[in-house]
Amino acid sequence: MLLQIDNASKTINSGSKKIALLDAIDLNVEAGEFISLMGPSGSGKSTLLNCIGMLDGFTDGEYVFLDESVHGMKEKQRSKLYKEYMGFVFQAYHLIDELTVYENIETPLLYKNVKSSERKALVADILDRFNIVGKKDLFPSQLSGGQQQLVGIARALITKPKLILADEPTGNLNSKQGLEIMELFSELNKEGVTIIQATHSDSNAAFGSRIINLLDGRIVSS
Amino acid sequence: MIKNYMKIAFRSLLKNKGYSFLNIFGLAIGITCASLIFLWVEDEMSFNDVFEKQDQVYYVPTNQKYDGEWRTFYSTPGPLAKVLKDEIPGIVRTAKTVGENLMFAVGDNVISKRGMYSDADIFEIFSLSFLEGNAAGAFKNPEAIVITKEIAEQLYGKGVKVLGKVVRVNNNENYLISGVIENIPENVSFPFQWIAPFERFGANREWTREYGSNFADTFVELSPEANFEMVDAKVRKKMEEETGDEETVAFLHSIKNWHLRSKFDGGKVVGGKITYVRLFTVIAIIILLIACINFMNLSTARSEKRANEVGVRKAMGSGRSRLMLQFVAEALLMATIGAIVSVVLLFVLSPQFNLLIDKNLQIGLSNPLHLLILFAITVVCGLFAGIYPAFYLSSFKPVEVLKGVKATTGSATFIRKGLVVGQFTVSIIFIISTILVYQQIQHVKNRDLGYDREQLLRMAVNGDMVENFPVIQQDFVNSGVVESAAFNNSQLLSGGNNGSGLQWKGGVNTEDVLISFRFVSSDFIKTVNMEIVEGRDFNANKALDSTNTIITQSMAKLMGEGSAIGKTIRRGEETFEVIGVVKDFLYGDMYGTSDPVMFFNSTEHARYLYVKTTAGIETGDMLSKIESVMKKNNPAFPFECAFVDDSFNDKFKSEQLVGKLSQIFALLAILISCLGLFGLAAYTAEQRSKEIGVRKVLGASVTGIVRLLSKDFLKLVFISILLAVPIAWMLMSSWLEDFAYRIEISWWIFMVAGIAAIVIALITVSFQAVKAAMTNPINSLKTE
Repeated sequence: MLLQIDNASKTINSGSKKIALLDAIDLNVEAGEFISLMGPSGSGKSTLLNCIGMLDGFTDGEYVFLDESVHGMKEKQRSKLYKEYMGFVFQAYHLIDELTVYENIETPLLYKNVKSSERKALVADILDRFNIVGKKDLFPSQLSGGQQQLVGIARALITKPKLILADEPTGNLNSKQGLEIMELFSELNKEGVTIIQATHSDSNAAFGSRIINLLDGRIVSS
Repeated sequence: MIKNYMKIAFRSLLKNKGYSFLNIFGLAIGITCASLIFLWVEDEMSFNDVFEKQDQVYYVPTNQKYDGEWRTFYSTPGPLAKVLKDEIPGIVRTAKTVGENLMFAVGDNVISKRGMYSDADIFEIFSLSFLEGNAAGAFKNPEAIVITKEIAEQLYGKGVKVLGKVVRVNNNENYLISGVIENIPENVSFPFQWIAPFERFGANREWTREYGSNFADTFVELSPEANFEMVDAKVRKKMEEETGDEETVAFLHSIKNWHLRSKFDGGKVVGGKITYVRLFTVIAIIILLIACINFMNLSTARSEKRANEVGVRKAMGSGRSRLMLQFVAEALLMATIGAIVSVVLLFVLSPQFNLLIDKNLQIGLSNPLHLLILFAITVVCGLFAGIYPAFYLSSFKPVEVLKGVKATTGSATFIRKGLVVGQFTVSIIFIISTILVYQQIQHVKNRDLGYDREQLLRMAVNGDMVENFPVIQQDFVNSGVVESAAFNNSQLLSGGNNGSGLQWKGGVNTEDVLISFRFVSSDFIKTVNMEIVEGRDFNANKALDSTNTIITQSMAKLMGEGSAIGKTIRRGEETFEVIGVVKDFLYGDMYGTSDPVMFFNSTEHARYLYVKTTAGIETGDMLSKIESVMKKNNPAFPFECAFVDDSFNDKFKSEQLVGKLSQIFALLAILISCLGLFGLAAYTAEQRSKEIGVRKVLGASVTGIVRLLSKDFLKLVFISILLAVPIAWMLMSSWLEDFAYRIEISWWIFMVAGIAAIVIALITVSFQAVKAAMTNPINSLKTE
């Protein structure tokens, strides 16, 4: 069991009203799964993804990641955990504009204090694998959307995470680029990487091994 | 990691050229300004540092009581030095000195230099290092003179051994060069270029051996183990022991303190230049602060641009401390570039600055102290400017910023506004101070001096000028450029010979009042255009006036009701009859009131010749005609003269320095603040571009939008005015308190300063506002 969520919810205060973003979520994820979160805008896909990724926290309920209860953890431990095991892919790529492709991919390794020589080898490997060696010195603004997302995924993978969290990874791409990204995801999944993606698209969701439908913060079917 | 931070910092710097320029330029100006001030402070603090024993060496001023008030004089009677050395344990050396100008001549090479006659101990007291000769043998010969390397080179050329040479002085005496000392730097309180035995000065001056006359600068060296308080206490009693006069007290004042702390009031030190040193140090720091504030404001204002990066980095595993480090590193980089720019600026500007403050300060990149201070300023600025943005930026939650939720929080906006208010408050205070300092100086300069300083020349008396005066006077008249000329024993603008213990009938018994004595030739009052309010001027034949005196109005007042004409005054053994009363005139402290004066018609002590020139004659022409008269009648001496007007202006040096510097600071503070405001306005316009677009689509006019955008900033300037006015009023009133003769602070100055600030801010902001208002709304609305 990679992670386990029991009766978790998240509420926020908006003015004097309490609004439930997530309500009574139960979710178990095994290693090697490829899960697609589906649902209309505002149904809570992104929030759930962020909570799983520990960028955000549930306000209630239990969240166990690799047999450790996340809820009781301090910020530092949590940060260590997601640094170690998770990679994020964003809809808007979120590459750092001032860094080249190479440097963008390298950054997570810097935060993990990986040695310089090792960093070079790892980045070279992944550039090679994604076929973007020729683009390593370009800045994000010089790349197409598909290429930027490719770099985004490369960056998420560089630390060899156990879990990839992708929030609408193809949302800003045309269908051809989107298809390539999804094929890459399923390839990675076959290699053993667990993936959770949030998506609007049925065809993208179909790449996953399991589909979870959300509506108004609740899981309606899985 | 650091490499990565620096890379990002450099690239974002290049990407946002405008923003980087505002920051770096602002910081560079701040650092330059602070460095110049610190250079000046260093110079002021280093006065007399050249003297190795400055911790043991003391100057001896005297406090004298007149009319119930202690006043401090920088002079001592002749016998005191020896008495102090012989009778007070702990004092190992003393020297009485008296300053003089000597004219040295070697062949056609004639130079005039200031130096002093002194006791031989002076060489040890000042630890003077001899290049030729030595301290022990320096004064063996009564005709000896020790000169600086500079004089030796000017007289004989470089590399010439001059020991034992005889030099002609003042065209009538010979001096034997018995030593050459290292040049004395400019930053000493008692500059001198030569030293000759005191005995030579005292030979025909009986009064130098009596207690009656205070004339000498006396220096005292304490033994290293001596207790200053104990020695000083003994010195304070000494004068009374010697003379029985308890109203004259000699005391010790460290030469280390002499430059910065030598303002006395009621016989006690009340400060001095140290006030300005402190003031300018504070101002330097404030200007740096203003520059740092720019950085903070612009960094937090453009936080939205950085927010995304913060979010991504956090999502990729960066802790907050690492992000903070990154942002501080960026600020440090900015500060470093600012410092480099400022070094260039310093080299370009330091000649101008030196000209302004009349000094010769050098920024030395090889001087470890200068480098250290520059480095310290850079680091402190970088840290100070970077820490708040670092805290602020690194606090963003990745979930929110990556979603595109507005990152600006209320607190940041509030702090930003507060900082802008701070900047403008300081700027307005500077504007007000500048106006007031200028007004005060003008006020005093326009004061009725009681004489006419225009077209008035002063020459030092030398050679046979007094004896030849009838001929000189005739030649002056023939030249057509001189109206009249007369001698005086002291400079018109300074204090000089004075004394007390005079007696007269009537009025209050005022033996205790300090009266100044002026020994002038017959035409003096006419020459300087003093106004005779009663009685008559001196006779052309001075013999007829040998028992007559002309007094000032304040003196006449002391002598009681009714006309002073015909009354008599006893001065020692002599009695003088008052024949005339002139209006009080101003000398010495230009801000205060001057002591009463008695004029005597005598050329016995003549030291200066005052020449009133005819109006409307071209200066060069006039000077060359006067020079030819002097050359003809006093050929042995080079012609040297000074305009009284210039000497008058010199009296305002330190106030004028404050005036000029506060002008510059005001300008810089405003400039830096405006750079910041300009940047902020740009970001506000950018931030609100959507709102502006919507408003324009709904029919808002350009002026309406400009008003909308400018309003917020003007509010801040208004608050600044409200804060600045009372602060400036308090500061400036206390500054003005130091001057007995001073202006009233008038309310319109605050109005002017306020309006100036508003106008400047408005121009700065409206530039951006107009640009934003003119943008086609399609551009701002299409993006989302």
